[in-house]
Amino acid sequence: MKLLVCIKQVPDMESRFKPDASGIWYNEADLAFRMNEYDEYAVEQAVQLREKLGEGSELTVLSIGPDRVVEAIKKALAMGCDNAVHVQDTAASAKDPWQIASIIAGYAKDKSFDVIFTGMQSQDRGSAQVGVTVAELLGVACTTTIVGFAYDNGVITAKRELEGGIKGAVTLNTPALVTCQLGLNVPRYPTLPNIMKAKKKEITAIPAADLTTSESLAATTSFHPPAKKGGGIVLEGDVGELVDKVIAILKDKTAVLR
Amino acid sequence: MFLDLTEEQKLIQGTARDFAKAELEPVAAALDQSDDRAPLMANLKKLAELGFMGLNVKEQYGGTEAGVVAFSLAITEIARACASTAVTLSVNNMVCEVIQAVGNEEQKVKYIPKICSGEYAAGGFGLTEPGAGSDPSGMGTQAVKDGDYFVINGSKVFITSAPYAGVFVVWAVTDKDAPKGKGISCFLIEGGTPGLIIGKEEKKMGQHASATNELIFDNCRVPASAMMGKLNDGFRIAVAELTGGRIGIGSLALGVGLAAMDYATKYSTERVQFGQKISNFQALQWMIADGYTELEASRLLLMSAAWRKENGKSFAKEASMAKLFATESANRACYSAMQMLGGYGYTQDYPIERFTRDARITAIYEGTSEIQRLIISREILRNFS
Repeated sequence: MKLLVCIKQVPDMESRFKPDASGIWYNEADLAFRMNEYDEYAVEQAVQLREKLGEGSELTVLSIGPDRVVEAIKKALAMGCDNAVHVQDTAASAKDPWQIASIIAGYAKDKSFDVIFTGMQSQDRGSAQVGVTVAELLGVACTTTIVGFAYDNGVITAKRELEGGIKGAVTLNTPALVTCQLGLNVPRYPTLPNIMKAKKKEITAIPAADLTTSESLAATTSFHPPAKKGGGIVLEGDVGELVDKVIAILKDKTAVLR
Repeated sequence: MFLDLTEEQKLIQGTARDFAKAELEPVAAALDQSDDRAPLMANLKKLAELGFMGLNVKEQYGGTEAGVVAFSLAITEIARACASTAVTLSVNNMVCEVIQAVGNEEQKVKYIPKICSGEYAAGGFGLTEPGAGSDPSGMGTQAVKDGDYFVINGSKVFITSAPYAGVFVVWAVTDKDAPKGKGISCFLIEGGTPGLIIGKEEKKMGQHASATNELIFDNCRVPASAMMGKLNDGFRIAVAELTGGRIGIGSLALGVGLAAMDYATKYSTERVQFGQKISNFQALQWMIADGYTELEASRLLLMSAAWRKENGKSFAKEASMAKLFATESANRACYSAMQMLGGYGYTQDYPIERFTRDARITAIYEGTSEIQRLIISREILRNFS
């Protein structure tokens, strides 16, 4: 069986974000990058399936971006992927989800992957569109935001997270694509020997332009960093008054008293 | 000149950081206050499985073969969460390295994989004696040849991990008539060997989770094959290996110093006095600036020493400079951090109190600051005479 997991390298979300010179995206200088959290669940699930299938199966990890994304690729290799594809693109952050999905589909279309794993969204752009669009472009079954995964004999049984704490159960025939959500698994730490062994695994570099020339459908026009947080709300008054205010806020802003 | 880390070094640092944050930080305060070492043992096992016990050891002996820079980075990240776990790691790595450097093939195959895999929770380094601290060549423990055996008598003090070490590297005098430092040999002695008694555990100021004990040799018989390296040639080994250990302890101190400054700096941006955040006051800004400047200088000294060792260059002076500066900077950082937290910093409700206690020993063990200065000046003066 052939498996593919798609990952993105994103900035540490505790960073301070500033607009770049164009004002369209964030300034990457001084940011620390790491593997997108949801993609870690995808890699873990893919590696678990690869281990279950054993000999004769192959797990490829793919990432799009500048040279820095090789670090995230190597982490996925150290976690247990067999080989990697680095789609070289210094302007990946300027591409919309449609273009990113087109690149992935352009790579995967003649490779006959049985199962493709992606994160349910990226932590920086957060569109949650790439996975489903890849499935649509490839014409394979798809389910999203999975928190449970089992595979047996060509059939995936997945548990999906829906709105309001409701879960759904889905079965899909392969080939299929799943997008992975928090709660699916606990990603393993890449062990140090595996980090060193990953140096010997093959990383194929492909220029993005070789895989798609599709134009942007939803161009990003400007970037706005989050407003500086205030010091929170400070309530004043006597105890009875304070309690009323707290209850009002809890009713208004949260679901705990509904 | 290239000051960036390799992708592998960054990933190793990442594994160490993520593990420390998820597994060590939540238990560090409890380990400091309790006699129960079960969480430490469990974490040491996990760290061994992740490959942290033989970072600079060859793969054929179960090591990671990741190099000295990766070792330094890993110790710093672990120490940011728990100095006791970090010192155990540093000593285990040092024991593996000394066996790899000096042991014969049989000894390497027998012991290094057991430390690297976690089958042995720890390895011990038995050099210091009650009467031989900064001057280890003055040791009194003796090993006397008796047929195919050596019989060892004497005692060692301040031995890290002694109650749970599977094997000890032990130095003893094998020729008491030889000039000072010449008649010493090195032995590998398994924990539980009859006549090897684990003595009292020291009640220390800090690094509580890491056990520090006396070792007593009472007619301890070991086979002649337990000798590591050549007869009467053990002191040189000890000195050489302590040099590598200094990079470990400097890296540990850096981790504790960074943890203290990070905590106090964050606190200073939240704590309000006189109607404003205390980080607005220049007195604290200077502490922040000085603290981080010294820690950054420590990091660069450590990286330089580690890189030199990794690349086969002389590194004794650089390792001593890094150890001296990093440990003293870490102590100053902890002092400033406590000032920044005021009275709260002195309580056990905040981690600065533990960091301060844990940092203090780093300027003492693995060669005091004074011994480091002695080594540094000797190395420099050699070029002027």
